[in-house]
Amino acid sequence: MTEPAEPIYADPGARAHALHLGMWVFLGSETLLFAGLFALYAAYRGAYPADFAAAVHHNNAVIGTANTAILIVSSFCVAWAIHAIRLGRRRLSLAALAAAMALGAAFLALKTAEYSEHLAEGIAPGVHYSAAALPSDGAQIFFTLYYAMTGLHALHVIAGISLLGWLAVRVARRRVTAERHTELELGGLYWHLVDVVWIFLWPLLYLTG
Amino acid sequence: MQPSDLRAPSARLLAVALAVLLALTAVSWLLAHVPLGGASTPIALAIAAIKASIVAIAFMELHHASTPARVTVFVTLSFIALLAAGAVTDVLLR
Repeated sequence: MTEPAEPIYADPGARAHALHLGMWVFLGSETLLFAGLFALYAAYRGAYPADFAAAVHHNNAVIGTANTAILIVSSFCVAWAIHAIRLGRRRLSLAALAAAMALGAAFLALKTAEYSEHLAEGIAPGVHYSAAALPSDGAQIFFTLYYAMTGLHALHVIAGISLLGWLAVRVARRRVTAERHTELELGGLYWHLVDVVWIFLWPLLYLTG
Repeated sequence: MQPSDLRAPSARLLAVALAVLLALTAVSWLLAHVPLGGASTPIALAIAAIKASIVAIAFMELHHASTPARVTVFVTLSFIALLAAGAVTDVLLR
């Protein structure tokens, strides 16, 4: 009869370190995924500088800026949730997670409103582009990249909200506590990366022509 | 308590980080309305890099991450630098 398998990490500290490292490697791969799109953006912006400038100025900078502030505050809320659980303040941690999720939902609502505005003007990705106000090839390429980059980012926001929701349930059920909260730290790392990606998308898509 | 809690950021640090991030966002917004010519994009990206660093240090606690985790971040940033250098070189040499 075989012996029962030993747990991989007898030391909880070693387990937490390994999980953190795994998350950082995952975040590295996510960053490189977005970096490819940023490189594509840079190359096409170099080829069509005037068209890209016109397209950037056409974007709704108020919505883009509001979404930047929203994601920054939501990132703070997640950091606050971790701070609170470390102090054993479960309700405060839950409230901070709920606030972060609500802000994430507000981000998506504004993004949806912005997409609707664009689609009403004929600003659609790829061959579906038919904007009379910006008929150039460069503008079409800009907005195709805009949809690819913001769409991929929005998928990450949806995944992040789902993850925060699952973590909130774990906190509510006392599965995540002051003594054991590595998964909340890992979920926080993911949400902060979503914020960091937007910090770079915002100036390139809304501010600098 | 977990090992990561021993060097956790204080509530004050988190609040200061939030205030600085929002202030830098306002600076980026204001500078977008100032005619800076070709400098506008490098300045905006430099501010974005500072903001990302604040998020990484204050919220993601990168400075307290293990050495292998920090090596992972370094390698990621190096690959991005390589990719950016390739893209910029391609544009400049066309």
